[in-house]
Amino acid sequence: MSEEIVSVTAAEAACLIKIDEELCTGCRRCAAVCPVDAIEGEKGQPQTIRQDRCVICGQCVQICSAYASIFDEDIAPREQKMAERGLLPSVKEPLFAAYNRGDAGKVKAALADSQLVTMVQCAPAVRVAIAEEFGLPFGSLTPGQMAAALRRVGFKRVYDTNFTADLTIMEEGSELIQRVTEGGTLPMFTSCCPAWVKYVEQDYPELIPHLSSCKSPQQMAGALFKTYGAKVDGIGAERVFSVSVMPCTCKKFECDRPEMADSGYRDVDVVITTRELAQLIKDAGIDFANLPEEEFDKPLGTYSGAGTIFGVTGGVMEAALRTGYELITNEAIPELSIDFVRGGEGVRKASVQVGDLTLKVAVVSGLKNVKTVMEQVKAGKADFHFLEVMTCPVGCVSGGGQPKVVLPADKPTAYTNRTANTYRHDENLPVRKSHDNQDVQNLYKAFLGEPLGHESHHLLHTKYTARK
Amino acid sequence: MNTNLNAFVVADPNKCIGCKVCEVACSVAHTDKETLTVGMIDTPVIGKLYLVKTAAVTMPVQCRHCEDAPCAQVCQEGAIIQTNGKIIINEEECIGCKTCLMACPFGAIDIVPVYKNGEAVTQTGLMVETKDGLVEKGLAVASKCDLCAERAGGPACVSACPEKALELVVPKQEKKRRNINAALNLLDSVKKFIG
Repeated sequence: MSEEIVSVTAAEAACLIKIDEELCTGCRRCAAVCPVDAIEGEKGQPQTIRQDRCVICGQCVQICSAYASIFDEDIAPREQKMAERGLLPSVKEPLFAAYNRGDAGKVKAALADSQLVTMVQCAPAVRVAIAEEFGLPFGSLTPGQMAAALRRVGFKRVYDTNFTADLTIMEEGSELIQRVTEGGTLPMFTSCCPAWVKYVEQDYPELIPHLSSCKSPQQMAGALFKTYGAKVDGIGAERVFSVSVMPCTCKKFECDRPEMADSGYRDVDVVITTRELAQLIKDAGIDFANLPEEEFDKPLGTYSGAGTIFGVTGGVMEAALRTGYELITNEAIPELSIDFVRGGEGVRKASVQVGDLTLKVAVVSGLKNVKTVMEQVKAGKADFHFLEVMTCPVGCVSGGGQPKVVLPADKPTAYTNRTANTYRHDENLPVRKSHDNQDVQNLYKAFLGEPLGHESHHLLHTKYTARK
Repeated sequence: MNTNLNAFVVADPNKCIGCKVCEVACSVAHTDKETLTVGMIDTPVIGKLYLVKTAAVTMPVQCRHCEDAPCAQVCQEGAIIQTNGKIIINEEECIGCKTCLMACPFGAIDIVPVYKNGEAVTQTGLMVETKDGLVEKGLAVASKCDLCAERAGGPACVSACPEKALELVVPKQEKKRRNINAALNLLDSVKKFIG
């Protein structure tokens, strides 16, 4: 796997997150949460984002409270701001200074285009938060209603990122075992968080070989939609319009990475956030709270509990251990709920006895917390085999694209509830380990062959770009 | 004779960072539906405290719940009275004449549009000329801080401020606290040179 040295321009980052200088009061709460110190400006003056530093995590968007008042005559009209931000005209919510680019309009247009076959995937974190935008309590678990809403909005295939989360475990678990047994680059880093990947590329490009070569579940799904997905439906790949709903603003950056086109087309055409999906659903006049529960489509929509816990910090690690343990020892892991990798923001380390191997793992959430770990790795002093990093405070459930909590005092409750219901969803699913996902097994048999095989390598693995 | 003075919320300009969370919290505390997330807010954010941001000072200002409230004294409709130690505007009686707005030396009163069930309430009896012809004028009434009379936990702005810059001042308690501190400080200074 080689690295290319490429310099990133602001254009390439596509200015996905901006601060409206007409609204910004210079309180700098955004600067305080920015994990890469990308926000600059004097106190009390409008702030600006350094696009070369920004990892597009969207935590600034989540915290910004400087809203556009109807009484302010010195600012551009609301309609103009909404158009600039790519918001659907039907959106009624207040506008704040820090915002991400909106892409719901592109999805709405694709849904109306009868030539296109729209396929959609939603991240695990979306199903424990989207209902909040419809008045339900924090963390309400509504995967069935989410699937029903996606169908009524017009998506032809309602697939799921959790399916490819299971697939990622198959590939990444195999890759980890390979690195451990064959002396590959260790520790291995997870690569599903695109803001973390960008951070490695720009701040620690020499550590790029540590990143798993696996794509994120989002990108694996996109590549499959336009190959296997098109094949299964008997349609040309050029007719597939691939949409992803994410709790994350950086996924909009990830889907536009030049190399994410292994299907021969843009593997993911558009990413919208949880908030934007709620806006689309309201725009279509759908009463979310009263929808019946529906299933996801096969063959790319079924998932295990291990797949769904990707949405919380420690989830990828726990899912990997549930499968890795069995792959190595040929026995099921004695306790499925691996409590010692669960937790809140910070750094957690643990060892797991896997047969003869003492597997040492580390989990970081909140990108600011990763620096000391990176310095250890750089100095050759890392005492662990596998590192999971999530940029956002408690993982994707606290992502930059999630429903924005109005009152600061409610944030901990929102995060706690979204996390708890993610684990509850896992506990109540019939299948709890990625390798037990029958549709994943069928995908290997019918299409991919085996983990890390030729087809997997072509569609499900990727390269990174030094950005220093 | 009741000698209690009305409590009021005041901001510390040394702590305020101008983030406007207080205005947002105030607005949602006075909306008829629960809005835990921004996506649930479907009417304009209208607070009853107003951030002042100039080169010299950054802080919100709001009603003092005056003992001799001039707004109440000038209201022709008798829409402003004191209940439970708070100066409250009865929006149903308000005609939007703006006399109270002019009487308040703090500028604590604004005349704001009324929303019900996500829609602006309009007046069938008052048409306004617009570029699209005559339309019903939106209803607007006087609005000011009500110390979150109907909110368990008291003033929403105080709870929400991330810098703890807002404080609910209970004058009688505050005066007593300062008197005690003053006396203690004097005692300390005297001890130093008498022993």
